[in-house]
Amino acid sequence: MARPSFDISVLGPSTRVTGRLTGAGSLRVEGSVRGDIQISGDAEIAEGGSVEGNVTADALEIAGTLLGDVVSGGPVAIRSGAVVRGELRGSEISIEPGSRVSARLVADFELDLGPLPPIAAAKRR
Amino acid sequence: MSQSSVIGAGTIVRGNVEGEGSLEIFGRVEGDVSMGGEVMLGEGGAVRGNVSGEKISVHGAVLGDLLATHAVLLERGAKVVGDLSAPRIGIANGALVRGTVRTEGEPALAAPNKRAATAAVFKPSAFAAKPVAKAEPKLVPPAEPVEEDEGEDEDEDEDEDYDYDQQREAAVMPPARPKEKEPERRPPPPVLPSLGKGAKAKKKKHRD
Amino acid sequence: MAGTVIGEGLSIEGDVTSDEEVVVQGNLRGKLTSTDAVSIGPSSVVQADITGQSVSIAGQVVGDITAPERVDIQAGGRLVGDVKAARFTIADGASFKGAVDMEV
Repeated sequence: MARPSFDISVLGPSTRVTGRLTGAGSLRVEGSVRGDIQISGDAEIAEGGSVEGNVTADALEIAGTLLGDVVSGGPVAIRSGAVVRGELRGSEISIEPGSRVSARLVADFELDLGPLPPIAAAKRR
Repeated sequence: MSQSSVIGAGTIVRGNVEGEGSLEIFGRVEGDVSMGGEVMLGEGGAVRGNVSGEKISVHGAVLGDLLATHAVLLERGAKVVGDLSAPRIGIANGALVRGTVRTEGEPALAAPNKRAATAAVFKPSAFAAKPVAKAEPKLVPPAEPVEEDEGEDEDEDEDEDYDYDQQREAAVMPPARPKEKEPERRPPPPVLPSLGKGAKAKKKKHRD
Repeated sequence: MAGTVIGEGLSIEGDVTSDEEVVVQGNLRGKLTSTDAVSIGPSSVVQADITGQSVSIAGQVVGDITAPERVDIQAGGRLVGDVKAARFTIADGASFKGAVDMEV
């Protein structure tokens, strides 16, 4: 598939995919996917949709269920009603009330609060 | 009757801060922050401890957990190593976070600081870079309730052989507290939690 | 109107099952089963057995096709595999190699 495509793919509500989805273009999952998704477009897990696997995309919107890790080049928006478990990585992450999220956020950085100035007679520390 | 408090940029608080109103932090807190209202951590501000409030917005650095009844917002420039728990969570572009995020969909968590009792409002004047314990040495388990996971906070606290009442009476930070008790979990109140830089983060990962 | 559309840029490796119409414009390697119509577009490259109420092929398919109603290979389409269907058409310009069973 040499041609770049910006189509939107849709997996309807009764569609089940067991396997990997890769490619260009955007994807809307209304059914269920068990396997990894790796696309260079926007991914959306619609309400009622579910993905059990990792998702890599340019942006991700989740209103359904995601059990797996997310790597987004852009935003990750978790809507009310979503269920998300896994690791989240994205440029910005928003989580709305009514969602059920239990996820790890991973960013590689050092957090150095800096030294505290000494205190006279400080015993602790 | 919400009052607003401010910990200025040149101020360092070594101990817990607690109150019913809102709080802006531009300086440094080595201890837990537990407010009934909003907590805003400015860009140069830093907290090494847990923070709980109705709404927490972070522009600075936090080494500890954030627990809110309404929302936790990390803005650009924020650096957080710790867990986030609130019905609404926003992490803006440019914010760095390492930890778990939890929201169980129930909006009204018990307000984090119900401990009106000891009027533990920190008094700005008392903090001018002094290690004096703030008015309230008492151990304030950051937040009740929330999700079962957050319950850990309290449990841990309970576990400590820390006698709250006694401390309350003492009205002084108990320096002798064996802090290292839980080096990785949140810094036990009063004393400075000397956490290794990555200790808490590491521990948090395991926790999840 | 198709319930499921696998766009041109998408590749699926694995099994797909559905109760809706499925339109494939991308690539598929594995298996595709639907209780409704299946359509393989001209840009598709499919390596899978396909089962649908009816199956229309305008792309390239290697696999066996089963459809109670009908199978049609469009001009430009190419199928290498067996066909089992009540009706079967191969348009002028289509390619086909395989066995055909039209017994319903």
